[in-house]
Amino acid sequence: MTKDILVVDNLNMHYETLEGNVMAVNNVTFTVKEGESFGLVGESGCGKSSVASTLLQLQSENAIISSGSIKLDNQELVGMSESDLRKVRWNDISIVFQGAMNAWNPVIKIGEQIREAIREHHPNNTKKENTEKISELFKIVGLDDSIMDRYPHELSGGMKQRAIISLALSCDPKIVIADEPTTALDVVIQDQILNEIKKVQKLLGLSLIYISHDIAVIAEMTDNMAVMYAGSIVEKGPTASIFSNPRHAYTKLLLESTPSVVGEKKKLRALDGEPPSLINGLKGCSFSPRCPDPTDACKKGSLEMKLIEIESAHWADQCCVNCG
Amino acid sequence: MIVVFFIFLVSSYLLFNAIPGNAFSNLLLNPNLPPDAYEKVLQTYGLDKPLFERVQLYVVNFFKGDFGYSYKYYPQTPIELIAERLPRTLMLFSVVNIISFYTGFFVGKVLAWRRGTKSETWITVTSVFSYTVFYPWFALMMLWFFGYKLGWFPIGKFLYPEKWYDAPFDSDIIFAMMIKFVVVISILQFIAYTVSRGIEALSIRRNIRFTSLVLIFIGSYFYWNTGEALARKPYAADIAYHMILPVLVVTIVAFAGTALLTRTTMMEVLKEDYILTARAKGISQKRIRDRHAARTALLPVVTSFIFTIVTIIDGSVLTEQIFSWPGMGQLLLQSVLNEDIPVAMAAFSFVGVFALLAHLIADISYSYLDPRIRIKSQG
Ligand SMILES: Nc1ncnc2c1ncn2[C@@H]1O[C@H](COP(=O)(O)OP(=O)(O)O)[C@@H](O)[C@H]1O
Ligand code: SF4
Ligand SMILES: [Mg+2]
Repeated sequence: MTKDILVVDNLNMHYETLEGNVMAVNNVTFTVKEGESFGLVGESGCGKSSVASTLLQLQSENAIISSGSIKLDNQELVGMSESDLRKVRWNDISIVFQGAMNAWNPVIKIGEQIREAIREHHPNNTKKENTEKISELFKIVGLDDSIMDRYPHELSGGMKQRAIISLALSCDPKIVIADEPTTALDVVIQDQILNEIKKVQKLLGLSLIYISHDIAVIAEMTDNMAVMYAGSIVEKGPTASIFSNPRHAYTKLLLESTPSVVGEKKKLRALDGEPPSLINGLKGCSFSPRCPDPTDACKKGSLEMKLIEIESAHWADQCCVNCG
Repeated sequence: MIVVFFIFLVSSYLLFNAIPGNAFSNLLLNPNLPPDAYEKVLQTYGLDKPLFERVQLYVVNFFKGDFGYSYKYYPQTPIELIAERLPRTLMLFSVVNIISFYTGFFVGKVLAWRRGTKSETWITVTSVFSYTVFYPWFALMMLWFFGYKLGWFPIGKFLYPEKWYDAPFDSDIIFAMMIKFVVVISILQFIAYTVSRGIEALSIRRNIRFTSLVLIFIGSYFYWNTGEALARKPYAADIAYHMILPVLVVTIVAFAGTALLTRTTMMEVLKEDYILTARAKGISQKRIRDRHAARTALLPVVTSFIFTIVTIIDGSVLTEQIFSWPGMGQLLLQSVLNEDIPVAMAAFSFVGVFALLAHLIADISYSYLDPRIRIKSQG
């Protein structure tokens, strides 16, 4: 049996703002196994990036983790001291942030910015060793060694992104998070980068959390996945099982509104309405205001949101399973 | 650049020319003027020629380095007078500039890093005060407090005449020597810094830098305690002592602008994605502050500092008068008051050259600091 690399249990996080608390992460529970690619999908604003930053304990200053645990290779990260976290970051868990184009400091050379990370975690390496390491990573992502001596503004978007991937891999982390890594790129390049990440993941047997708002990309990239809505996971399980047998009304709509996933030409159903405001939390099914056919029980909001296992490793929100 | 300077020369000539009563021709009416001087003045300035030709002559003479003679200290030339004064001004103002830039930058950096704390509020308020305070008033207050009340620092004298009365050297020699000393030290430390950049392990790098600093200290100790330098030491110390108060005052006034600007730009930079990435890499807060945030925040600060340099140079007239520092600023003021036109013009032009040089240096360092500009200027 493969090992659990990351175990997130009942994580709750909110942002304190002047308008009230933004409940960005509610009772989030999931597990990532060694060598697997795990997808996190949901509309923009549903809390995906919030989950990602919490995993590194890099949430913004106004974020409060009210409860829950994050175990990375059996190490509890919630409540860990800053100096211990510094050792874990990048060495055990690294991230490609959303909008990673801006992840490069404009006045420092690319190579030096990667080297800096390695130096932090392997202080006894020689310069030559570090250069070789970077060169090796560059080869994997298809970059020339000369890029090391370039400044970020001299690189195209795609090249920057490839370099970011090698940056994320530079300390051989146990798990890598990729938060919408292709968003800012044009379509052709997006495809190349996706393939690159997939290739690297397979090649290195990397544990990966892939975050996207595009369920089609998740289908292509991941083994297991979770669907997030309004800060909660509404359905999770093996990617294949969710695609063949979606159980939550939101997942179904998400699939139907995406042309490339479902093979036959079906009439596209648009996903109407806006995601709800997360301020001060929600009662009952968070999707009910937009749900195409809610039952009376849903409307009353009498059923608590809670995931139940409907088939092996495939979980969905109980109220929706019961009514849909 | 050259065009700017040319315009500066011509307009400064025209300005002087426009002084009521026309100082140039006034001089010729002075009955005490020796006849050979009269001839010389007439020739050098072409005073009997029309305006256009006079301007031409002036510009040509400037590039020949020929400013004529001082009316007051005849037969000394303005160049000689400036050569005597320039090192003093250079010394005072390079020290002030360096200190105020570094303290300003450092304070601003720390302020941004500690935003929201009590100490941040207090230092910010103080900085705003010293940024907006009326400079001559402040300088006089400081002089009164430290010089008169506490008696820590000398008032009204550039150097102690008792000490220099039978000194074997001219004060300028000591000045030149002190400037050389400072330059050599900076170069040495810069070399140590550059060499150690190539070393990968951070702890070794830090140790090398620290050792080099200690070595430089030991080296300078020996330097000042051997041979020629030993004999000159008391005089150098006297100069340094007289510099403390002016340096302190100008620094307090000049650092605040830099500090406040650094604070603002740092706060902007700290919001950038690459700061978050640097944190995710596990890099220490201090290193993020100094290497990622401060390095980028430096750019606008350097730009604005150029303008500060120019105001400091302009302010030298005031500073030198208040602190009795016989540099370029005083020379300029006195020569204008004495209607010693050649000296005034020469001094004026030199201040202009200074300002332009400061701009040039700032431009160069800016393009060194910002790789985005570096590329553009190459390509
Ligand atoms: N620092 C913050 N302060 C307050 N609210 C925030 C902050 N960061 C994100 N949010 C809010 O939290 C919710 C989730 O945001 P995010 O995690 O970025 O979603 P996603 O990545 O899925 O688009 C959004 O409503 C967003 O406005
Ligand atoms: S629980 Fe009811 S309202 Fe909520 S998504 Fe399912 S069917 Fe719709
Ligand atoms: Mg996001």
